[in-house]
Order: sequence, then structure tokens, then C-alpha cells
Amino acid sequence: MNDVLTLLQPRIVSLKRGNRSAINLGQTGKLVLLGIIGSVFWFGLFGISLKVLLHFQGIEDIGDILNYKLLSMMLITAFALLIFSSILTSLSKLYLSRDLFLVHSMPVTCHKVFIARWIDSTVDSSWMVIVFTFPVFISFGLVYSAGFYYYLCSGLAIFSLALIASALGAAAVLIAVRVVPASRMKSIFVFLGILFFVVLYLAVRLLKPELLVDPEVFDTVLVYISAIQTPSSPFLPSTWAFEAMKAAATGAVADSLIHLALSLSFSGALIFGIILIADAFYFDGFSKTQTAQVRLIRNNTILEKITGFLPGPIRAYMIKEIKCFFRDQSQWSQLFLIAALVVIYIYNFKVLPLERSPIKTVYLQNLLSFLNMGLALFVLTAVAGRFAYPAVSAERDAFWIVRTSPASIRSFLWIKFFIYYVPLLILTEILIVTTNILLHVTPFMMALSTMTVFVLVPGIVAMGIGLGAAYPDFKAENPAQTVTSYGGLVFMIFCAGFIAIAIIIEAGPVYHIFIAGFRDRSLSYLEWIWVAGSFTAVFAISIVAVALPMRFGCKRLSAQRL
Amino acid sequence: MIEINEITKKYADFTAVSNLNLTVSRGEVFGFIGPNGAGKTTTIKILGGILEPTRGSARICGIDIFKHPVAAKRKIGFIPDRPYLYEKLTGMEFMRFTGDLYGVGKNGFQKKAEKELKRFSLYDWANELIESYSHGMRQRLIFASALAHDPEVIIVDEPMVGLDPIAIIMVKDLFKNLAKSGVTVFMSTHTLKVAEDICDRIGVIHRGRLIATGTTEDLRREVDISNADLEKVFLNLTSRA
Repeated sequence: MNDVLTLLQPRIVSLKRGNRSAINLGQTGKLVLLGIIGSVFWFGLFGISLKVLLHFQGIEDIGDILNYKLLSMMLITAFALLIFSSILTSLSKLYLSRDLFLVHSMPVTCHKVFIARWIDSTVDSSWMVIVFTFPVFISFGLVYSAGFYYYLCSGLAIFSLALIASALGAAAVLIAVRVVPASRMKSIFVFLGILFFVVLYLAVRLLKPELLVDPEVFDTVLVYISAIQTPSSPFLPSTWAFEAMKAAATGAVADSLIHLALSLSFSGALIFGIILIADAFYFDGFSKTQTAQVRLIRNNTILEKITGFLPGPIRAYMIKEIKCFFRDQSQWSQLFLIAALVVIYIYNFKVLPLERSPIKTVYLQNLLSFLNMGLALFVLTAVAGRFAYPAVSAERDAFWIVRTSPASIRSFLWIKFFIYYVPLLILTEILIVTTNILLHVTPFMMALSTMTVFVLVPGIVAMGIGLGAAYPDFKAENPAQTVTSYGGLVFMIFCAGFIAIAIIIEAGPVYHIFIAGFRDRSLSYLEWIWVAGSFTAVFAISIVAVALPMRFGCKRLSAQRL
Repeated sequence: MIEINEITKKYADFTAVSNLNLTVSRGEVFGFIGPNGAGKTTTIKILGGILEPTRGSARICGIDIFKHPVAAKRKIGFIPDRPYLYEKLTGMEFMRFTGDLYGVGKNGFQKKAEKELKRFSLYDWANELIESYSHGMRQRLIFASALAHDPEVIIVDEPMVGLDPIAIIMVKDLFKNLAKSGVTVFMSTHTLKVAEDICDRIGVIHRGRLIATGTTEDLRREVDISNADLEKVFLNLTSRA
């Protein structure tokens, strides 16, 4: 056990030191900001849960059944999330972390290394799920006036669930890495995970879940009650947690203890089991991970031929960026996610029941089209946060090449800008044009939205590149996750503000133009000035949104110490 | 070729390099030696245009590296001590990448790249991803790419780290031959034997200050030890500073 604790020491020490250095560096403001956002989210979740549970409780006859169903569904979802998170985290911790060479070279048995890494992985993969499921548990306890035992039981139940999920995730990884190398495995799991969520979403969307809460569509109330009362599988660990908590809330302590004991004993047995599996498989899998991957396509020079006409530095960065991007398998799942996002986005517009709306359809269609601009730009912000913002951090330790090359940081950033600008503009225009076609909007709205997007996209991409350059993290294990940092938060806030300002500025004149067309009258002189002024203002703001972040990023990146 | 004027670099209260003055002529191999934390890498980074000094200036082939960084960098072949590269490119693609950045003409590139890859025994690996390269192979690839644009000045930090004995001998000969053809080599090293073997002049830096410069003979004279190797000279110089 001492060896395991020793192996965990670097993590514990760096955690303590990380906090201290953050304060030393005067970054308390950032921590406070993140703390406030986290607290708002936590208390928001708590408030919503409390309101929903109280609302359900008020429904005669089936209120309690609905609340229990909700708790059960929440636990199943949390369990699924914990397993998914555990698979990805344990893959990184057990096979891909940079410090593994050092750890495996130490005179410690393999299973002890595994135990230390697994504990580390369990904490990382489950703390967030645990923290954000507690508001629901607390509100459940408050609604049913549960005693102290309920809260203790909830804590132990979610703790046990996290251990089981983490053990199952680690076991799956230990076995799978024997077949497929870990570096490829991560992409496959991310891909499968996203596929799972997309299929789930589409399935739920196609089932029209809104009908499930409408008892009128069921033949009888009895059928409805029996449908929502169907228990989850008794072999699911989330069911044990649910039964333990349900019994604790209703005061059935003995019944609760049995389910809790079942859950805890199973987690203990499972941990013992994975240690045995690790003893047999872990080192073998770790060795396999170090072998290079086989390339499927070799010596493809198409890109070199296409970009032959470009000046040297532009061609160099463009080819490098595109090749590195597509050869990194972790990006493939992200591309798949974007494709799924586009399909879901467009599908949601396709199924809009416009004809059943009490508001005049032409008005509604064009109103939706106008709001759709903002929505599509928010989607773009999310995509830019994933690709454009980490673009500079993705240089990682190889950034020295950029700094020593005879191309200025300014050129480097502008090249990055254009590399991401073109595909992101195409993506946003596809979203806008397709949804406008589905909405049957007027030619004016079509022109307005495509032009507005054309003007605003550079600003969002520039904020991604510029702020990504201003707050780079060249040491990040996964640069894609840098958008969750302080700089990423600033990027998100600025983009949201930029989009909101542009939409607000355009809203008034667009309304007047549309109403004038609708009533078949021409715009007054003042209205024309307002229209021209508004569009000029949006254009001017867009130029500022491009120039300022790029300049800020260039200045900060040039001063960055390597 | 390289002129360093009154360069000082401070990190908060710590002075990494203090008032450094140095000139390295065309075709000279200059070795920069010193204990850990003496200021070698800081100086190398300043010369490579990666780091701005707190005070002072540096000129490469007469061009101020901070006033005209792009023009100055075009003259430099920079080789860092740690071979971090773009893992998802092949060796040849990396050569083309740096070739494009440094403006190596398309026509001459292929021949030049092949020559350098062959020189550093990487030709057979040219179409493999860099992620499959060993530490030494990565270091050799950096050497190959740094030479592909025919630099007038080579700035190299710890050149022999990660190289096998054959590659070390080859690099030593290469530096000597490059110097003969007029290329200036500025290298920092801990390997005193390498410095003794190939450097025309050596500078000893200690606690950020240049405490001695000259040929090995000059340094021996300075510490008043005849027939001693550079190791003894170095220990003597740094212990009394």
C-alpha cells in the first residue's frame, strides 16, 4: 500500500502546489470567476430539480411514481456517463500519459502501478458527475423530508456507483488494449460514444417524447401508470443505488442497507477482479502501446500539388496544419460530431410544426430565420472553440519551429486564421442556407442572413485564433480541451456578446423592412438611414472583432517565453 | 557574422545573462560552455530570436535580430537541444515544411532534402511519420532541416545530445567543413571534449557573465595551467569566478 501512496504523491503534491502557484501568480480572479460559474450552475441545477420534483409531487396519484422514475433515469444516465468518462480517462492514465515511462521504470510491481493510476483515474473521471448529481439528490431529500441517513446513503451510493463504473471502464480498457493499441483505442471509444449519443438523440427525437407526458394519448390511465412504473433491470448497479436511496428517503432503512451493501460489496469484488486482470494484461498492453501505428495511405502528394501556387510560408503552414489535423485520429470523432450536429440542427428545422402555429406562418418563418442567424453563429462559436481556439496551443512543444522560422508571428496567426476561416464559413453558410430553404423564407431574409453570417464569421474565427494565441497552453496533453481554460471562457463570452450586439443592431431595421414589405409600402427616409446605419455598424464591429483579437494575440504570443 | 552587444536578460529579479559582449567571425566555430543555469540556453534563445533581451542588441550577418527578425532568421539554422517536432508529418514532409518557410526554391528542394536526409542516415525513413522516430533520429532530422536552406550561421544548443557515436563524429566533421566553407557555428555544450575538438574559440559563461574567451591555449594561459585538458581549465575558471 505504501508503494501505491508513493506513486500517488506527485499528483497530490502537484495539486497542492498548483493551487499555491495559481495564487502566487495573481490568478485568484480566474479561480473566483470559474468558481462563480460553477456555483451558478450548481445552484441552478438545484433550483430546477427542486421545482420539477415539487411540480411532479403535486400531480395526483402518479406524482411520486414520476419522481422515482426521474431519480432512476438520472442514476442510469450518471452511471452511463461515469463509465464513458472512466474509459477515456483510464485510457489516458494507464497507457498514454507522458510520465508512464518513468513510473514503469521504477521498482514497483505492475499491479501497484495499476492501482495508483486507477485511483487517479477514478477521481478524475467521477468528481464532476458526483458534484453535479448532488443538487438532484439534495432536492429529492428536501421534497420527501428525508433524514440524515438519506444523505449519507446517497453519498455512499454514488461513491459506490463511481467505483463500479470506473472498475468496469478500466476492465474494458485493459482487455480492449490487448486487441487494438491504446492510441487508436481512444479515438474509437470517443467515436463510439458520440455515435451512441447521436443515435440516442435521434431515437428519442423520432419517438416524440413530448407524447409520453401526455396521458391523453394512452388508451387508459392504467396503461400509462404501468408504462412509467416499469422497473429498471435488477442487475444494473444504478438500480441498486436507486433502490437504496428510494428506501432511505421513505425511511425503510433495512431495505436501503441491503441494496447499499449489494452495491458496495459488488464494487469491492470488482476492484479485486480488475487488479487480477491488470496483473495479467496491463504491462503487455502498455508495451503494445509503444509500437508505432501503421499508416494506411502513404506518399499522397495531392495537397502539395494543389497548394503549389501559394507563397512558401503559407503553403508550409497550410500543408502542415491539414496533414497533422487529418492524421490525428482524435480529430476524426470531432468531425463526425460536427456532421451529426449539422444533421440534427437541420432536422430540428425540418420537423418544426409551423403550420400548427397560431401566429401567421410567413411572419413566423422569417422571424425564425432571423433568430436562426444567432443560433447558427452560436453553433459556429462552439465549433470554433473546438478547432480555431486550440489551433495555436496545438503547436505544443514544436512551437520553437515557428519562433525560429523567418515568418513573423503575425503572418503565422493570419495563416492560421484563413486555414480555419474558409471551412467554418462554409459550414455556417450551409447551416443558414439549408434551414432557410426548409423555412421557405423570403429572398430578402435569405440574402440578409447569408450576408450577416459572411460578415460575422471572420470575427468569431479571429477571436478564436487571437485569444487562443493570447492564452496558449503548449503543455496541454490535449490541446482541444484548452477551450475550457480561462482564455476559452473569455473567447466564449466575447463571441456571445459579439453575436448578441450584431443581432440586436440588425433586429430593428430588419423588422421595419419586413413589415414594409408585408404591408406593401416603401421605407421612409429616416428608416433608410436607420437601415444603412445599422448595417454599417455591424460591419464596423465585425472589423474591430477581427483586428483587435488578432493584434492582442500577436502581441501576447510574441512575448510568450519558451 | 554574430555580434552580441551589451546583452542582459533578467527573469524577474534573477539575472540570467549580464552585459554580454561577443563577436563571432565568419567561418568560426564558437563553443559556449558553462555550468547548468549559467545562461547558455538563454543566450542561444536570444540569438535564435526566441527570446528578447532586457537590454542590448544582437546582429546576425549585420542584421539586428530584434529589429528585422524575419530577415535575420533567414540566415540562421537553429538546432535546439530538445527535438520537438510535428509528430504527424513524415521526415520528408517536415523537410518540405521548413524548406517552404525558409524559401528554398521548389526546383532545388528535392535534391537538397534528399542529400541532407542521406547525410544524416534518414533517407530510408523519409516517408515514415516522425512519431515513430527515436530521439536521435529526431535530432538528426532537425540537423538535416536546419541545413537545407544553406544557412550562413548555425546556432545549436547541445548538438550531441541523443546522437549515437557515428553521428557525433559526423556532426563534428560537418561543423568543421561548414566553417571552412564560411559558415559560422555558435554552439553551447556541456561536452567539453567536443568543444575542445572542434571549436576555434571557446567562451566560458558563469552566473550569466562571460568570464573568459579565447582558444583552448588562451584559456590555459589564463588559468596558468599548461598541458591541462579543457575540463581542468573549466573547473579552475568556474571555481575562482
